[in-house]
Amino acid sequence: MKESLMEILCDPLDKSELELEVEERDGEEIIEGRLIGTVTGEEYPIEDGIPNLLPPDMRDD
Amino acid sequence: MKGEEWYQTDEVAQAYDAKRFSRGGRLIDRREKRAVLEALTPIEDRRVLEIACGTGRFTVMLAERGADIVGLDISSAMLSQGREKARAAGVTDRIEFLRGDAARLPFPDDHFDTVFAMRFFHLADTPAKFLAEMCRVSKEQVFFDTFNDRSTRVLYNWLLPMGSRLYGREEVDRLIGGAGLELADASHDFVLPYGFYRKIPNQLAGAFRSADTAIGDTPLGNALASVSYWNTRV
Repeated sequence: MKESLMEILCDPLDKSELELEVEERDGEEIIEGRLIGTVTGEEYPIEDGIPNLLPPDMRDD
Repeated sequence: MKGEEWYQTDEVAQAYDAKRFSRGGRLIDRREKRAVLEALTPIEDRRVLEIACGTGRFTVMLAERGADIVGLDISSAMLSQGREKARAAGVTDRIEFLRGDAARLPFPDDHFDTVFAMRFFHLADTPAKFLAEMCRVSKEQVFFDTFNDRSTRVLYNWLLPMGSRLYGREEVDRLIGGAGLELADASHDFVLPYGFYRKIPNQLAGAFRSADTAIGDTPLGNALASVSYWNTRV
């Protein structure tokens, strides 16, 4: 995902803001990292450039 | 969700496009792309969200035509194929893929101009919830297709690995009304079901498709159509 996607992404649980933590990037593109719900505290991983915004009850990993 | 597990394996994702869109399947692909383009054009610089984007065949097509598009799917295997396709087409700057739940979208209200889903509602166990959520994040348009009951699809459904939900006209009207949407336009096609087109040889596919659209243009054909495309306004 590109960092600019942060402008629209929100926590799927309560639509509150997310915070971005980058582990690996390639220019604008975030390859690995995580998104953290500022209200829920929930963590959403970014893997291979694809953020996983599945709510925790739907995650298999 | 009926397709949830079946679509998530890498083998299914990698073989998906080849299997779905070979032979007569290409006629289906072409018709579906036409349905999406007719409903969504003009698309340039529009903010678009595709639900259940799979391997991104519509997502990439729309990015190529200038849309700013996000593709959401539940399967990371399918999304990886989508990212590959976007790279090959050189449209990564206009496209984002993400994993998510269509019933709990990670977007604010009214963000997109258009939200659409193809081949999604036949797998949806709670369609009213999904449609309402699509409506929430769209400020103008919601577009989707359904497979119809009282059509040849009923027979074909028996053969499918993941099951498939069929809709009647009254049910679709209720869903659209219930989500607070208004029907702007509907079209109906495929008296012969998709499965038929995937099985027959290339040389015959065109002839059957011509017959199919000829019947489809009649009132009887409309009633027997196995697929409907619903163009709605928020």
